[in-house]
Amino acid sequence: MSSYVDKEYFYYLRGRELLLYKLLGSRNRTRITQSGILQSYHNELMYPDENITDGLRIEYTALNDPFISESFESSTGYGTGTIFTFTASNRYIGTGINNWWKDHGFSEGDKIRIQGSTSNDGEHIISGGVGTSISGSASTIDLTSASTLVDESAGANITITQVPEPDTITSPNTTSHINLNKMLCLAVVDYVKAMIHEERGEIDKKEYYMKEFFSKLADNESNKRLVSSAFPISPFAVR
Amino acid sequence: MTILELMERTGIKNETLAIAYIKDAIHLIQSNTKEKIKVNKQNILNASDSDDNVYRLPADMISIENVSILDTSDKRYKRIKRLSGQPHYLLEDTQP
Repeated sequence: MSSYVDKEYFYYLRGRELLLYKLLGSRNRTRITQSGILQSYHNELMYPDENITDGLRIEYTALNDPFISESFESSTGYGTGTIFTFTASNRYIGTGINNWWKDHGFSEGDKIRIQGSTSNDGEHIISGGVGTSISGSASTIDLTSASTLVDESAGANITITQVPEPDTITSPNTTSHINLNKMLCLAVVDYVKAMIHEERGEIDKKEYYMKEFFSKLADNESNKRLVSSAFPISPFAVR
Repeated sequence: MTILELMERTGIKNETLAIAYIKDAIHLIQSNTKEKIKVNKQNILNASDSDDNVYRLPADMISIENVSILDTSDKRYKRIKRLSGQPHYLLEDTQP
């Protein structure tokens, strides 16, 4: 059993590899029984000495799903509650409330993310309403055949959120949307202009548009950080 | 914004080239900011030979946000520190 892993494990990056080390002399093992002893300054390190399923977790940015079938800004479907029932046999998600799906911004073909369910968390695609269309008054939807559900009664506090549905990376077309918000899409426009000017040998214009590109990147980040700070006032300041 | 709209705004005619530029731009955005994060999980092995501590970084990775290890005693992933230099090997053999 692993414990105090934040103090005992270290990693080192070597090209496209990650090397994992564990501190020797940790509370889990004694030095006599160690294997693969390594030395780093005054701390001795060794290779990991236990199996941990899904033990290594790497968070990273990647070029994933660059194109989506619906614009990022219009993917606004959202609903939460304890009303959802899941039927495995026909992949139904029921709410018991007419128009629930329509009223919460969902429609046929939307990709949804389910969170909070006991056994049906994950991403699915809505096939359509059951009995009537979603734009009609459907209270129940069915999912595409790619989804697998587990029977579940209402009760769990579940959130369903619409997420952008990726276009296949190999075949985006002119109607595909860029998987970015409006500000970053405008930054991409600047980037493409910069590349066009670079091809023409107009380096000054390329530099201008690259500056605009990074400026919009910075704007996009700072827009998320418009927070105000409150400072407590000392009671001695009261007059 | 659709690819067509971007092509009209920039005056680019070649769809394939436009798509390539867009991917390049997203790559650069992901390299400079954290627009979209992915998670990769791998099993940790009980090392039995000299390369069992080597794990492959995700092939589609642009930049690492953090690395953590599952603490099975309280079922939480805990961030671990990066070594700035590779440790000096005393013994490569796993059974010294």
